Amino acid sequence: MENNSLLDVQHLSHMFHLKRKMTVKAIDDVSFQIKKGEIYGLVGESGSGKSTVARCIMNIYKPSEGEIFYKGIPICKNKEFRKNRKMLQMTRQMIFQDSASSLNPRMKIEDIVAEPLRIYSGKGRPGKKEIEKQLELVGLDRSYMEKYPCELSGGQRQRVAIARALSTKPELIVADEPIASLDVSIQAQMVNLFRKLQKEQGFSFLFIAHDLSMVEFLCDRTGVMYHGKLVEEGRTKDIFAHPEHEYTKALLAAVPIPDPRIERQKGEVL
Amino acid sequence: MSDLFEMVGVKPELAEQQVPEKENRWYDTIPWLSVIILILIVGGCLFCNRIMTKDPSYMDLKNYTIAPCKEFLFGTDTMGRDIFSMIWYGGRQSLFIGIAATVISTGIAIIFGTVSGMAPEWLDMLLMRATEILLSIPNLLTVIFLQAILGKANVFSLSFVIGITSWMSIAKIIRTEVRQLRNNEYVIAARCMGGGFFYILYKHLAPNFLSSIMFMVVMNIRSAIVEESTLSFIGIGLPLEVISWGSMLSLSEKALLTGAWWIILIPGVFLVVTLLCITSIGDCIRKKLNKQESNL
Amino acid sequence: MLYYGKKLVIFMISVGLLSLVTFYVSRLAPGDPLFSYYGERVEKMSPEEREWAEEKLGLNDKISVQYSRWINQVFHGNFGRSYKYKMDVLDVLKSRLGNTLLLGGTGFLIIFAGALLLGVICAWKEGGWLDKIICKAGTIISCVPEFWLALVLILVFSVSLRWLPSSGAYAVGQEKNISDRILHMILPLTVIVTEHLWYYGYMVRNKMLDEIRADYVLLAKAKGIKKSRIMLVHCMRNIMPSYLSIMAISVTHIMGGTYVAETVFSYPGIGTLAYESARYKDYNLLMIISLMSGIIIIACNMAAQILNERIDPRMRISRQSEMQEVDNYE
Repeated sequence: MENNSLLDVQHLSHMFHLKRKMTVKAIDDVSFQIKKGEIYGLVGESGSGKSTVARCIMNIYKPSEGEIFYKGIPICKNKEFRKNRKMLQMTRQMIFQDSASSLNPRMKIEDIVAEPLRIYSGKGRPGKKEIEKQLELVGLDRSYMEKYPCELSGGQRQRVAIARALSTKPELIVADEPIASLDVSIQAQMVNLFRKLQKEQGFSFLFIAHDLSMVEFLCDRTGVMYHGKLVEEGRTKDIFAHPEHEYTKALLAAVPIPDPRIERQKGEVL
Repeated sequence: MSDLFEMVGVKPELAEQQVPEKENRWYDTIPWLSVIILILIVGGCLFCNRIMTKDPSYMDLKNYTIAPCKEFLFGTDTMGRDIFSMIWYGGRQSLFIGIAATVISTGIAIIFGTVSGMAPEWLDMLLMRATEILLSIPNLLTVIFLQAILGKANVFSLSFVIGITSWMSIAKIIRTEVRQLRNNEYVIAARCMGGGFFYILYKHLAPNFLSSIMFMVVMNIRSAIVEESTLSFIGIGLPLEVISWGSMLSLSEKALLTGAWWIILIPGVFLVVTLLCITSIGDCIRKKLNKQESNL
Repeated sequence: MLYYGKKLVIFMISVGLLSLVTFYVSRLAPGDPLFSYYGERVEKMSPEEREWAEEKLGLNDKISVQYSRWINQVFHGNFGRSYKYKMDVLDVLKSRLGNTLLLGGTGFLIIFAGALLLGVICAWKEGGWLDKIICKAGTIISCVPEFWLALVLILVFSVSLRWLPSSGAYAVGQEKNISDRILHMILPLTVIVTEHLWYYGYMVRNKMLDEIRADYVLLAKAKGIKKSRIMLVHCMRNIMPSYLSIMAISVTHIMGGTYVAETVFSYPGIGTLAYESARYKDYNLLMIISLMSGIIIIACNMAAQILNERIDPRMRISRQSEMQEVDNYE
């Protein structure tokens, strides 16, 4: 195993049991690595198993086969997981797609942001200063502390979710389609925010999306998933310049290009 | 610009005709009469020392089965005790049992419902089947059975027995709510952060399902009070010496023979009025809840 | 066929478990079973006599041995003797069962029909004065404890007015006199019916209202079908399966209500017998009564389940889609 890889996913498979005899293979033999301080993009259409990968990494699902090494620890083994539970829970954080359902509607923003630290320390709420700093980091001022999630817009809520994830100074952030439910203009803001935060804090970042243009802008390396398989993987530039798999080509062809002339040509080709 | 818009929009004279809906303030929906009566009864029971004219447990053997008069406002029972004093003193026991039993059953229901809601499919199935079976056994039978095992009843054992036999329907509601809530990503997020079962229950689940069980909880107080009085009446609840509305009524068989209506009617009326007040408050809670849901 | 076979196996297992639990719990409960057999004499017994008596009743073996002996006897059709009545428990039961069935059965039928009637009337006149009055009255009556209602009825109708008898199933020596029996049944029946009627009537009302709001009613109305026909034929058909399954479960609840009414009116039925047997540790009697009640409860539950799963086609579909929803989430 390479020394500088933080997360190492090896031959990961996961099946869902539908009825007695029916099973669906959501992910099938997926392997990839994320290095320290790297942004890794995972793209694919809905139902291709991206979220399942993310949830396996976060120990929400237990994979049927394969192993995930985080800092060299095989986290899918119950024993190892229990031994390192606290470290794992603090250094990995997740950001969900739907900010409306990922924030408890009955908690104030300050409580939401403070939640991980509170669970971690086991004591009461951390100081207001701390929370204020976290909120500032994601571009929200202190006036939001007393508000409830329903008073915020989608983009603001997602910022709160990011602030919550960052509050424990994590080393790996898994973001499951964090921008998919936002407007395009807000999406760009969020991606810029991710980029800025990643530069400042240096965490590794697994970015899951189905929007290729954002991935191209943000990620160092990219994997393409199709029907539960990782069909292509490599540096983002290489993939976008020379896609090898048919599916990647099709995906790329579907990306709108902000130039009407090229866009029109593309239409004729297909 | 505004002129143009008004021409195609709703005509102003039509709009004015619409009667503005009477605004309901929060206090309009509360059944004040019930609340006030309930406060009076509860207050009377709490401060019974001030109200009582006689010692409720003193047996005045000279004046037994006396109809209501000036000295004995509500008359005396077949053992010569003053009913007026007993009502307030005994109300304490009845109300205490109602509340204590409800606290116990709600506690069990919350734990059981949440466990079942968060559990994997097969365990959930098993737990819910068990609940349904328990639910279908007539409550009274289980209580009689348990009471027979525990032996002679006192206020606490009776609350306990009533509590552990009446949690099932609340647990079922909680389980359904939790099943929906647990799909929310904030619950998953809290689990990822390492929040334990009780942390998630306290912080994320309970605040979200409490409103939907409030009605059931209030109704549970009611049924617990009914059950206490029924059991005491049959003779397996509180014994005669422990004064409660139920045990007061257990003298009624003797009262029937002598035609002493006050022994039967007066404690019963207090019982029924209390239950009615609780019911109307519960109904008010339910209506509020329905309103909230339909607004969403 | 397999479906019913499976249900039957589950049924047998539940009944077996039930008998085991009752047997153990009743044995472990405090109390002296000899007391019910010998009455006051027990206190004067010497230890040797006690031992002999316990030996005779088979009470000094281990509980497991006692249970296996009991089960063995049951398979031979012998349920043992009642300690208190000194006769075969089946005979004791037989003398009481008829009374309870008569009271509970009539009550159930009246509730079944009455709830349907009240519910439909209320739904028909929704918001009208009749609906309002019935709803209010129902709420108030549901707050009156069953035993107290019984007491008041006795006070009014038998003590003050002397119209109706207050206790028993028949006057002495009038066992075969039908009119006398009916006279004795009026008060207990009133109690049972009023206590349960509105609970189920309200259920019917709400279910009916849900149906009336459905789109197919609008369509039927647009077609020009009469309101009575829409409600009594179309809506009724939709609420019937769930109503039937609710009523199947309600059998046990009405049974519980019957027990209370029996106690207050000293009506010689199963309820009073159950109470006596639990109190006096009449083990054999207690076992057969709890077994019988258990069988009724389990059977009613199963009937409700089968009604739910088999009769209503909507239930089948919604069950399937529910399963699919779960799958989609997972």
